[in-house]
Amino acid sequence: MHSGAMNESRRTLSPRARWTVPVVAAVAVGMAFVAPPLFASAGDDGLPTITPEELAAQVASAEPSPLSGTVVYTARLGLPEIPFGAVAGADPINLLGGSSTMRVWSDGDQRSRVALLGPTSEYSVVQDGPEAWTYSSTDDSVVHYSLSAADQARFETLQEQAEAGDLPVQSDLPTPEEAGRQAVGLARTSSTVTLDSQTEVAGRAAYQLVVTPTSDTTLVGRIVVAVDATTSTPLRVQVWSKTDTETPALEIGFTDVSFATPADSVLAFSAPAGSSTRDVVVPLPETPTEATTAPEDKELPEGVTITGTGWDTVVQASGLDVAALVAGDPAAAANLPGVDKTFGSKGAADLYAEFVPEEGSGSPMGDLDTTALYDTLTKPVPEGRLLSSALLSVLITDDGRVLAGAVPGATLQALAAQ
Amino acid sequence: MSLVEVAPRRGSLLRLVRSELRLVLGRRRNIVLLVGLSLVPLLLGTVLFLTQDTALDGQGPGFVGRVTGNGLFLVIASLFLCLPFLLPLTIGIASGDAIAGEASAGTLRYLLTVPVARGRLLAVKAVGALAFAASAVTAIAIVGVVAGAAFFGLRGITLLSGTTVPLGDGILRVAAVVVYVGLSMTGLVAVGLFFSTLTEVPVGAMAATVVTAIVCGVLDQLPQLATIAPALLTHHWLDFAEFLRLEPDWGVLGQGLALQAAWVAIFGALAWSRFTTADVSS
Repeated sequence: MHSGAMNESRRTLSPRARWTVPVVAAVAVGMAFVAPPLFASAGDDGLPTITPEELAAQVASAEPSPLSGTVVYTARLGLPEIPFGAVAGADPINLLGGSSTMRVWSDGDQRSRVALLGPTSEYSVVQDGPEAWTYSSTDDSVVHYSLSAADQARFETLQEQAEAGDLPVQSDLPTPEEAGRQAVGLARTSSTVTLDSQTEVAGRAAYQLVVTPTSDTTLVGRIVVAVDATTSTPLRVQVWSKTDTETPALEIGFTDVSFATPADSVLAFSAPAGSSTRDVVVPLPETPTEATTAPEDKELPEGVTITGTGWDTVVQASGLDVAALVAGDPAAAANLPGVDKTFGSKGAADLYAEFVPEEGSGSPMGDLDTTALYDTLTKPVPEGRLLSSALLSVLITDDGRVLAGAVPGATLQALAAQ
Repeated sequence: MSLVEVAPRRGSLLRLVRSELRLVLGRRRNIVLLVGLSLVPLLLGTVLFLTQDTALDGQGPGFVGRVTGNGLFLVIASLFLCLPFLLPLTIGIASGDAIAGEASAGTLRYLLTVPVARGRLLAVKAVGALAFAASAVTAIAIVGVVAGAAFFGLRGITLLSGTTVPLGDGILRVAAVVVYVGLSMTGLVAVGLFFSTLTEVPVGAMAATVVTAIVCGVLDQLPQLATIAPALLTHHWLDFAEFLRLEPDWGVLGQGLALQAAWVAIFGALAWSRFTTADVSS
């Protein structure tokens, strides 16, 4: 046996010194986790200076590039707390509040995939030209959106025409420079457009375009768009409300992006075996030439009126049975004004299809109690029920009118009383 | 410092590791714990097998609803169900007992007469606790895959993204999930080892370890604490689901492992400081 004393003398660390080891470890760990963001936040000021018009033109002329990346979406709309416990897993309803992470892949052309991530679930939207699928891992269900056979043929003809460069509306399309100037010009009629200091989004140098409404009565404080300096792809959009100057009310931006073409397997979709599949046929807008005509030329659907201009615009629709709609009554949805009219975009058509269920298929929101959700989100006012958020107010009056606009709720109430 | 401690001698360390592993994995209580954990996939599989032709088929939280379609999901569903409580409980028992158990039985001072330095003795104890954690996760996985294959058969798995990958790829992904869950337990082992050096009452160390895991899990749910959530022990535990996505994000998985490494570094260092400076009287 060796003696303990010899062992003691071999050691050099005193008990006190031994207790500094965990402190050093803690500090090292703290440095490793906290320090990198501090260094990374320094902005890149090495970009050439440009005007807002030039930036907008660059965005308009940029070829949509293939990309994949992670997008974080944060909404601080000031809506009442929604009982999210009722919603299991990844569901688009989560976008109403809080922070959501999405993965996006796009080939920059016809095919894309967006996946909304839940802790152990995913809600995917896959688009392949005229077809689209949504897949919810929570209930293993697929919804397949497609065009009817006639529309499909028309879509293909249009595709060919577009590829050949003789789309009927092609002559009306402005050049990117002109489009940029027009966009900035249009924005300037009701806002001031400036460039903010250059920034860094997802590790890439970016310009920041700031659109500030000149109106005092709107809820929108300003909109900031960060545009990648190299590819002119918008990397982040922040919408600031007038009330909160600390954090944006709505923010969607890449936290990680790469401009490589995604793998084919990512962009493909086929319904997994055993899943429940629902087919939805989406109508193609009648004549694509309409899409390029100015909005004011378009005839408004029956029962819809617009008051105010610019940021103070209020849309008013009448003759709606909102309570029945919310309860998922398909009959009420069929009476919506303008349902069989054209949709401005594929997205709007998808959205419409999402919310109007097929006959007898029940509520489009699955098991979610939409009536309870509606009661949570809106509060009673003398005119009816009011949904007020940081950016948007919606007033649903008892006599079946719906008023919506980026203005305070009181403005809507005054309008409704007229 | 106690006087019974002796200078290191070559070869003692390996012998000590071997005897520690025999002790940990051969102890009847630990075997009972492992059997109990293995019963989870077995029971879950049996219940789902018996109810698969009823209206309840395909229902259940997380991955439970997918098990009847593919036995491989039995592994994942069982791990998912064990993660919040059963795994921390069993691992807390094994790691909390590591030093405190010896101290309460009065064997710690005899252990210190083995010609191995205290730091190394602590490392040996850590190896024993980690081996138990690994066996716990592996037991669930092996019983899960066997029961899953017997009850429902194994086939290519449908990822959360809706894409179906071939069986070989599926097995690799499930194996990766098992490894990730195992590595997610290392931080908890370090916490348990530290509590174990503080007390001579093993139950106290075990309880403190389990409570740490549960409190972290609860705090992680509070939106008001979102700023500190990324530092909580349990924050990235469910990120094993990343392996079931179309393209696993290695950044997310790396964060989870880095967090465990951080907890291991801090609590390992604390345990070392405590154990090498403590007066051992029993």
